[in-house]
Amino acid sequence: MVELTGAKILFEALKAEGVKHIFGIPGGAIIPVYDVLYDEKEIHHILVRHEQAAAHAADGYARALGKAGVCMTTSGPGATNLTTGMLNAYMDSSPVVAISGQVPTLALGTDAFQEADMLSIMLPITKHNFIVHRVEELPSTVRRAFHVATTGRPGPVHIDLPKDVQAGKADVKIPAKVKYGKSPRLEPELEPLRKAVNLLANAKQPLIFAGGGIVWSGASAELVQLAELLMAPVVTSLLGKGVIPEDHPLALGMLGMHGRMAANMAVTECDVLLGVGARFDDRATGDVRYFAPNAKIIHIDIDPVEVGKTVHVDVPVTGDAKPVLAAIIKGLRERAKRGKTSEWLERVKRMKHEFAPRMDYDEVPIKPQRAIKEIQSVLDDEAIIVTEVGQCQMWAAHYYAVKKPRHFISSGGLGTMGFGFPAAMGAKVACPKCDVVNIAGDGSFLMNSQELATVVESKINVVSCIFDNRYLGMVKQWQDLFFQKRRSATYLGTTPDFVKLAEAYGAWGDCAAKPSEIAPKLREALRCGKPAVLDIPIDPDEHVLPMVPAGGRLDQMLT
Amino acid sequence: MKTRIFSVLCENVPGVLMRISRDFTRRQINLDSVTVGIEPSGMARIILMFKADDHMAELMRRVITRLEPIMEVEVIDPERSIVREVALLKTRKLDEREMLQILQRVEQSGGRVLESKGNVLVAELSGKHEEVESTIKSIGPDVLKEVARSGQVFISREAS
Repeated sequence: MVELTGAKILFEALKAEGVKHIFGIPGGAIIPVYDVLYDEKEIHHILVRHEQAAAHAADGYARALGKAGVCMTTSGPGATNLTTGMLNAYMDSSPVVAISGQVPTLALGTDAFQEADMLSIMLPITKHNFIVHRVEELPSTVRRAFHVATTGRPGPVHIDLPKDVQAGKADVKIPAKVKYGKSPRLEPELEPLRKAVNLLANAKQPLIFAGGGIVWSGASAELVQLAELLMAPVVTSLLGKGVIPEDHPLALGMLGMHGRMAANMAVTECDVLLGVGARFDDRATGDVRYFAPNAKIIHIDIDPVEVGKTVHVDVPVTGDAKPVLAAIIKGLRERAKRGKTSEWLERVKRMKHEFAPRMDYDEVPIKPQRAIKEIQSVLDDEAIIVTEVGQCQMWAAHYYAVKKPRHFISSGGLGTMGFGFPAAMGAKVACPKCDVVNIAGDGSFLMNSQELATVVESKINVVSCIFDNRYLGMVKQWQDLFFQKRRSATYLGTTPDFVKLAEAYGAWGDCAAKPSEIAPKLREALRCGKPAVLDIPIDPDEHVLPMVPAGGRLDQMLT
Repeated sequence: MKTRIFSVLCENVPGVLMRISRDFTRRQINLDSVTVGIEPSGMARIILMFKADDHMAELMRRVITRLEPIMEVEVIDPERSIVREVALLKTRKLDEREMLQILQRVEQSGGRVLESKGNVLVAELSGKHEEVESTIKSIGPDVLKEVARSGQVFISREAS
């Protein structure tokens, strides 16, 4: 018999899941685990400077790599600081496994030092969460946590680990399989599939609306194949960016509030809309009464809760995107008759051309559209773009052409300012050979800028391009457009100097004040061998346009 | 809005009821009745009663089914199932005439008296929700000091 401590068992269980990296910060209630980490060779720990960043880094890591990201904190404030990151991962279906220390089981419920009721706090903001009461439960709990996080619709899982469970001993084996655990429906039912094939085969103006579910399903190839077979244009959600190369002739870009006009018009005019791995959220649909008003809607999702949740769906299909799309392709190939879509394609192409976004501004202060163009000109297709939240995010989403899935990482559902920088850090750890660029606003960047210490100390060479307008820009935009330009509490003043801020941490810092300076300075930042901050002062009065006002119709964009 | 009944089979672990109830709370749905029992298998069975339109009822079925510790959600049609509710009643101190009246009423409704000490009656009623409700009403709030009710439990008539 070999008895191991809970802390040791935890690492054995994590290694059995293939974990290579953990983002975290130690504290009183997790010291036994960190004590084992001290001798650990196979798992690399990245010491962050705030627990929120640990969660976002694990999230960015998961999105870039397609595997669970892991973060670790102490009890109480360490654990509560994870909450924003966990909810962010939950809203965007990202598999994050978080492990927190907890006060000893006998002290639970006594308001002990650094005790927080994490089971209750994490419950509504994770896919599932656990507290481990006995050492013997630890191996099966860890196995189940990773199973829940990574199967079906992915999502974050939290494990609360009391200190006595970390220190206690047991003779246990890591189970090969989970004992309980749901198996989501992967293969679609035949009847809705037959209906979907029928609708698509007879569609005159078909359109595909592709979301982040395609990324997790690994169904990009099937998506592009189906689009080409139907000659159907494709619009994507924010999280779907990259599932079809955005320079593909059938790709219309993102739809929705800050989507491309051609994408929104195609939604409004299509006669059959095939939604795949997208949850039709309000920022994508606008007023649902006018969303695809002429279309029969087919909705494919692995999560039955999402199917038909916000819009009326004519053909609901529950299943994993990859086998479902493959089955639809097969069904269409077996039919002789296919929809004639050439007129529709001509119309869509005309709209795409007519509403092509303009990026060739030469002004100083720099127009953000031009800044995106310059950044795109420097980076190759392997580069991973991560964004903060707000105007910077929507400029990136609207103008940057992403060529591959997992190469555009952004906080969609929760819209978490401060996500981008730590998520970029996680993406770089996951994919060290890729250039990772965080397209940031000055407001968002300051919400987790302390991670400059982490990236410098841990040599994680990410570049943050700060679209610096000294405003909480998106709020300011709404104030300008809908609140008579009353810019209440959105001006950020003149501090800090971002170049000096970077240098204070030992990072590379520079400022590109003219459009022509952006590309050479970004190249230098990527080559400097250090984490870098490129400050790009932009026109503070520039808005993200076109725009569908909240609750408005997709075909009525402000320009 | 129609009354809906879910029979939820789930793992018998702390927090399951909280996971279920918060999904109702955040959608502004009031649970009219909740009962929990343990099945011979060791699993818990939770019976939920609430009011919702068709769209929301179907959404809630999927939402609850999605929860990790939930094995199965059965939607129960009240028309095709057996329904019972148990109520325990305690009266204030009664005079003899009142005592007789209430004894009679309890017996008429198929209930029974469990205790009568110091002019205070404790009685048990069981039956359909409406039957229990009407007996309690007929005895009246001025006489009843305390009422403890089980909530409604259902079992489907169909062979499973």
